[in-house]
Amino acid sequence: MRPRLLLGHPAAGIVLALLAWLVLVPLLNVPPRYLPPLGRVVADAASVSLELWNSFLRTLIETALGFVAGVTLGVAFGIVFTWSRFLERSILPLFVALQSVPVIAFGAIVVIWFGNSILAKVAIALYLTFFPVAVATLRGLQMVDEKRVDLFLSFGASKAQIFWRLALPIAMPSIFTGLKLGVSLSLVGAIVGEWFGDSVGLGVMLLQALYFEQVERVWVLIVICGLLGALLYGLLALIERKYVWWRIV
Amino acid sequence: MAHRVKIVATEAIPVLFALVMLLVVWEVATSFANIPQYILPAPSAIAEATVSSLPRLAGGLWLTTYEAMAGFAIGSLLGLSIACLFLLAPPARMLLLPLVIALNTVPSIAFVPLALLWFGMGAASKIAIAALSVSFAVLLSALEGFSRTEDGHINLLRSFGAGRFAVLWRLQLPSALPSIATGLRIGLARSTIAVIVAEMLGAYNGIGQIVYRATAEMDSQTVWSAILVSSLTSLTLYGLLVMVDRRLIWWR
Repeated sequence: MRPRLLLGHPAAGIVLALLAWLVLVPLLNVPPRYLPPLGRVVADAASVSLELWNSFLRTLIETALGFVAGVTLGVAFGIVFTWSRFLERSILPLFVALQSVPVIAFGAIVVIWFGNSILAKVAIALYLTFFPVAVATLRGLQMVDEKRVDLFLSFGASKAQIFWRLALPIAMPSIFTGLKLGVSLSLVGAIVGEWFGDSVGLGVMLLQALYFEQVERVWVLIVICGLLGALLYGLLALIERKYVWWRIV
Repeated sequence: MAHRVKIVATEAIPVLFALVMLLVVWEVATSFANIPQYILPAPSAIAEATVSSLPRLAGGLWLTTYEAMAGFAIGSLLGLSIACLFLLAPPARMLLLPLVIALNTVPSIAFVPLALLWFGMGAASKIAIAALSVSFAVLLSALEGFSRTEDGHINLLRSFGAGRFAVLWRLQLPSALPSIATGLRIGLARSTIAVIVAEMLGAYNGIGQIVYRATAEMDSQTVWSAILVSSLTSLTLYGLLVMVDRRLIWWR
């Protein structure tokens, strides 16, 4: 039973993969171009730890700002769409269409608009984030059924009270699904935004690693980007579990 | 027929209205406020530039679409096969699923430099990166779809003597299809974007590369035209997928 239990642990697969990386790469003589030995990747990370830390913070700030702005806009649109069926029918399809616009290609234009500042990255992150959040908010608010609203009305609740005490709590689980989708897109937006010219950030380091063909550095950055993504996602999941524990059936 | 007319009236008219309003405001604003071309060209100017540069864009558009479709096909097959493997072999799922989730936290664009270093500047690296981002979307939504099959139904089928594969083919796959279709839609949108991103960082041709060069030459009209044609193409593909999806998956 013991080994089975051990293998059942969620970290088992990851630990095994790391072990395989450690053992198989030197054993099979994998060319470093494809997969450098784990030790060299760690050593490379250590050699640029300060730059890595600064870039991590910078990208984190851009992602967080873009995320907050995108969520604010997304929730606002979600509420507006619930409030007006006509606006939902006319604008939401345009938003859907806009999603297939490769915003990345817009990067250059966004930089022309906002200059080479943090604002350009925040704008790209915002654009990518707001749509899933708006749709999730709309879906959530649509789950409020008429009977419950009538009950609230019969007790003399005002419109604001119905929104804060009934509609928003019901929509919250769905909104959180949108937030978790949106946060990884914010990270993508921030990283891509940095490609169009900057000196600090994970996206900048990624681009430099590509130009100088530093395979080890690319792997370091893949891991760090993953950690940043996991950190943000985990944070949201934690907030959700603590404050939005109810489920609407 | 009457039903059709009603759908057009309630769905198409508001969208067209909003679209026309947007274009009119944009056109008027750019000409009245004297916004320079490089900041925001008027819609008419973009349309004109697109028509005149269409022959130049066509080659890149064809390549980008080909790469995105190849990546989409490979990625969907890969995602679906891994999902089926996980379903048929629970130990594999136990061991590999955390790995998949860990890989999924890495933004797929972070893999672009790796794809370019591994597969070179040609089409292979773009197909690989598109396949990667599609396979995650399809795998995760297929797993979610499979988890929706009710145990009672599985037991019923098994009690009639159905084997593991028969249960998968006749029950679990059909009941997961709506969820898989959602994954395919997300994947399709992602595949074009992934290809364009990869092309911007290194390619011989393609929409991403055209945009990259036009940016370097400060040729903003070509940037807008390239964005327009690629968006229209991916919208068309998306529309086709939704249509196929509605025809094929009539149960829900």
